[in-house]
Amino acid sequence: MFIGTTLYALINTSILALMAIGFNLTFGISGVANFAYGAIYILAAYCIWGMINLLQLPYLLAVAIAVLGNMVLGALIYRFVLLRIRGQALSEVIATFGIGLAILELFSYFGWVGFEYTLPVFSDRSFIIAGTYIDFQRIAIAGFAAVLIFGLWIFTHHTSVGLAFRGIAQDERTALTFGIDSDRIGALSVSIGAGLAALAALFIIPLGSISPGEGYDVLIKALAVCIIGGLGSTGGVVLASFIVGFAERFTDTYIGSHWTMIVSLAAILIVLTVKPSGLLGKQKELEERI
Amino acid sequence: MIKTPILQVDNLNKSFGGVRAIRQVSFDLMPGELLGVIGPNGSGKTTLVNLITRFVKPTSGTVAFKGQKISHLPPYKIVRLGIARTFQMVKPFYHLPAYKNMIIPLYSPRMKQLAGGRYGDRDAIALDLLEEVGFERDSHVAYKPAGALPQGYLKRLELAKALALEPDLFILDELFSGLSLAEVASIVPIIEKIRLQGKTIIMIEHRLKELFRIADRIIVMNNGQKIADGLAEEVMENEAVKSAYLGAEAD
Repeated sequence: MFIGTTLYALINTSILALMAIGFNLTFGISGVANFAYGAIYILAAYCIWGMINLLQLPYLLAVAIAVLGNMVLGALIYRFVLLRIRGQALSEVIATFGIGLAILELFSYFGWVGFEYTLPVFSDRSFIIAGTYIDFQRIAIAGFAAVLIFGLWIFTHHTSVGLAFRGIAQDERTALTFGIDSDRIGALSVSIGAGLAALAALFIIPLGSISPGEGYDVLIKALAVCIIGGLGSTGGVVLASFIVGFAERFTDTYIGSHWTMIVSLAAILIVLTVKPSGLLGKQKELEERI
Repeated sequence: MIKTPILQVDNLNKSFGGVRAIRQVSFDLMPGELLGVIGPNGSGKTTLVNLITRFVKPTSGTVAFKGQKISHLPPYKIVRLGIARTFQMVKPFYHLPAYKNMIIPLYSPRMKQLAGGRYGDRDAIALDLLEEVGFERDSHVAYKPAGALPQGYLKRLELAKALALEPDLFILDELFSGLSLAEVASIVPIIEKIRLQGKTIIMIEHRLKELFRIADRIIVMNNGQKIADGLAEEVMENEAVKSAYLGAEAD
């Protein structure tokens, strides 16, 4: 049972990391906390579902359209909403949360809830690893999460473009001083985050079903992971996903599934008390205003 | 041949709430000129720089660069036209080596414009630029994290970042502040070299002695107004300037 729980904890870790990475990337680049993130995740899933089942489009085409559509939506949210309230953190949260609420409640209104609303798994195959049954979809999630996060980390830490990106992210003044339109970077950050949300949905949704409630769930999980790890830190997302991912599965197996949520929330509470900027987060320096 | 001004500041005003930080400031700057801007603390020197580079929006008045009105453009577009500035409070990326700090200017749209879309080996360009501002090549200072460098080198780094943009107008905001006499003495020749390349420079300074040695012309600011404009000797004989400085010292 221990090995099985560990394997499933690893998969849970991957799911959490995949859910959080888009939210975290947007925040890391432009400091925007996109509270419409969960809704965008669900929107992508419904779009893919609709294109496959209602419009009979080929799967890959539907996926490509949904990911690109999400990225365009992210850029539009920045351009037409966030641009006007940039720098006012509370307004950014309220506005994006409002957008998310509108999207999710629209789907609730249509009543698109039920087991038929789901995305196809990549393959029906399953494996037995160390005596534990694991389906292909879960292995795909773990593999994709590992590749994606490693790729993003290499990009942001070891390529010049990535370093420049991070530099601009850390300091708007620097961006402007060197002729870089920080609003373009901001739009790009929300856009990439939204695209990652679509990819996460593509991998994770086949394990369950699409429902508006799931949108809130994803947002809360992304927030929890980012807060524990330290907002904007890729390493923090990985570490926090491991902590929450393992805590959830082991609580589930050894204590009881009704304790799972409490353990996650307790983890947030403890981290916020002990280290308010998150495990790997860097407290923002006080800057002299120019 | 009559030269046309590279920068024209016309009736610039800025109010922050009820405070009039800049009042009716006008001046022209000729290509190749080195203008010093001095004045007591809070006299509006940095605000003036922020208005020219549009980090702050003017309440009224215009700024023109090479004959083109720029006071309505966002800061990043002004940079692309060829104005680079440094800041009094430097903010390098402390964890990155000095030469990696050059990444952002070297990836900037301005560089792309100048290089015709091709950049070449940016690390090599970075090291060349750093050598130009006094990072001795054999001493490996350029490879040290910016956080481990003394203030003198951080200011040189700031200068190198501005140089990377190949601007026609440099605006240096208190480049000398916080530096020792020896450090200032070693940076002055770098500025003189930039000047010999025909660049126009505005220097905001508190270190008057060093500034007067290299400046062609001095503008004195007090309470947001330009109270004197001329050669260093003339300006320091001006009664209004004397009382502004003595007044400030008497505070």
